[in-house]
Amino acid sequence: MNARVIAAVARSTFREFWRAPEAVFWTYGFPLLMMIGLGLAFQPRDYEPVPIAVVEGEVGEPLVELLSRDEQLDVKVLTATEADRALVRGRVGLLVRGTIAAPLLRADPLSPDARLARLYIERALQVRQAGEDVAIAVAAEDRPGSRYIDFLVGGLIGLNVMGACMWGIGFNLVMMRTQNLLRRLFVTPIRRSDFLIGYVIGRGVLVIPEAVVIAMLGNLLWGVPFRGSWLAFVVVVMVGGFTFTGLGCLCASRVRTYEGIAGLMNLCQLPMWVLGGALFSNEDFTGVMRWVTEVLPLTHLCRALRNVMLEPGGFVDVAGPLLGLGAFAAVCFGLALALFRWN
Amino acid sequence: MSSAAVAADPAIELTGLRKVYTKGRKETVAVAGLDLRVERGEVFGLLGPNGAGKTTTVEICEGITVPDGGEVRVLGRQWGGAADYEIRQRIGVCLQETRFQERATVREVLELFAAVFPNGRSVDEAIKLVSLEEKADARTKGLSGGQRQRLAVATALLGSPELLFLDEPTTGLDPQSRRQLWDVVRDYQDGGGTAVLTTHYMDEAEQLCDRVSIVDAGKVIALGTPAELIHSLGAEHFVEVDVDGFAGKVTEVELRALPTVQKCEFADRRAVLTVGSVHTAVIAMERLLSARGVALEGLATRHATLEDVFVHLTGRHLRDEEGKQ
Repeated sequence: MNARVIAAVARSTFREFWRAPEAVFWTYGFPLLMMIGLGLAFQPRDYEPVPIAVVEGEVGEPLVELLSRDEQLDVKVLTATEADRALVRGRVGLLVRGTIAAPLLRADPLSPDARLARLYIERALQVRQAGEDVAIAVAAEDRPGSRYIDFLVGGLIGLNVMGACMWGIGFNLVMMRTQNLLRRLFVTPIRRSDFLIGYVIGRGVLVIPEAVVIAMLGNLLWGVPFRGSWLAFVVVVMVGGFTFTGLGCLCASRVRTYEGIAGLMNLCQLPMWVLGGALFSNEDFTGVMRWVTEVLPLTHLCRALRNVMLEPGGFVDVAGPLLGLGAFAAVCFGLALALFRWN
Repeated sequence: MSSAAVAADPAIELTGLRKVYTKGRKETVAVAGLDLRVERGEVFGLLGPNGAGKTTTVEICEGITVPDGGEVRVLGRQWGGAADYEIRQRIGVCLQETRFQERATVREVLELFAAVFPNGRSVDEAIKLVSLEEKADARTKGLSGGQRQRLAVATALLGSPELLFLDEPTTGLDPQSRRQLWDVVRDYQDGGGTAVLTTHYMDEAEQLCDRVSIVDAGKVIALGTPAELIHSLGAEHFVEVDVDGFAGKVTEVELRALPTVQKCEFADRRAVLTVGSVHTAVIAMERLLSARGVALEGLATRHATLEDVFVHLTGRHLRDEEGKQ
């Protein structure tokens, strides 16, 4: 290992990236904007009443009146045609026909909105018969650490580490190959490992400040807690970054076209966007899906990030996910070094 | 190995070199049993049309391409294993086309390569060697073709190489840029270096090379100094004249019989005479034509070039081949 060469490659790679404002924006500025947008969209707020439709003229006045009194239901009185259209378009969760004595509910049984509306309607009818309501006090869960936004920020940091490292590394490596620059370096006494290490450092170093900024912004804007060790957080981001740069290098080890690298990157990233536990939890999966999610490095990264941010996690707590990530990174870099083509 | 023994090794020794490229079922023989020996201290030119196997041969010498057969010795060592690192420290390479990082300055590009050669030249020294002082802090994106090529040569010179490879170093450059690059190569040679260059410019080979080998279809078809090769034609001058008025009055056979004329060919309404002495042949031709009442029109004379050697050996023009690519 030659520190002088690694430093020179890292410096040169970083400079080339830093001097391209559009590359810096799409890699680091855009995810920041996305996190602000998603954060605003998923702010904690009160439940809105569930919209349902009753068919005008067909449903008797007593039933309409009963349902309209319920604060949890938003009753829309529509003609039969309008009601059907509203159901198809998803503007209402459920359609009420029939009378108060024999009501008929039409809805997709799989729709959560429909299930909820049905429960509210059943309760309203039962209360009417029994004559009394049991008052249940409901306290909104808005303590920091348990809200969706708290869950989301950790996931966004994970997604950002994955995207920045894989695209930043892979695309540029293919560009250097098409420009003959890799081939030119190959005819000098430079070692593959020195080049790749320097390159990864130069391209990936910004991931750390980016993750810190997202975590701090989440805290500042929405009070997303940070209960663990900042040092452990930085180490988790570094190991995660290392893992995904490894995957980026592996993808780009032989590819010669931009189309090729874009396809490979999407192939790797899409399953992780969906199943990696960044935007919604994958911890309740079972069976084969459980195995699939456990293989994805993003699962381990998000788990470790949330552990450090939301629970007072330290190095001991994240040792498991870090080991998983480290193993994945070792396999990727090993394969990338073996397969890597300068030409 | 003692330093005297190292110095005694030729810079390059190729024996029976072969390389076949396979694409699908189609096999293309790029190098077909090529032998070559480049001595220390000379500038050696590989000449030939595109597709002749020059670049493949050079890339095999540079360790980029692995040959299918034959033996390769570069500075006395063979490629493979631990020797690779040593050979790469001792050679400098300028590829046919390299685009350096476009947002880096000339100095920054050289700093990257300098890190790889700890005992090489300083960046400033390399900049001076190729006269890029004024552009040292300019980004490579804004450099002209010639300046970019000089930067490529500077990266190759950073390691103070014993052997320098230049693949088509002046293709696409303007005349002034070409001359500047030739100067760089001459200075390098004056410092004791050995250079191997490929080119399809005959003037470049004549100006720059101590020896050239003409390569065609993956083989060496002629080898020697430019002067030797031109001399091998037997006559070093050409006389050309329009033949429009010759019909029925002057024949090819009569022109060939004139003093010092070795060869005469009619082509494209021109007669091309290969002659040993221009003034003897022209005076004799003038007499013959006036005796037959034919005017001497479109007279032109020129010195033989390596291009003529190539045409003589293969019956084709270098440029024709290039156009077909």
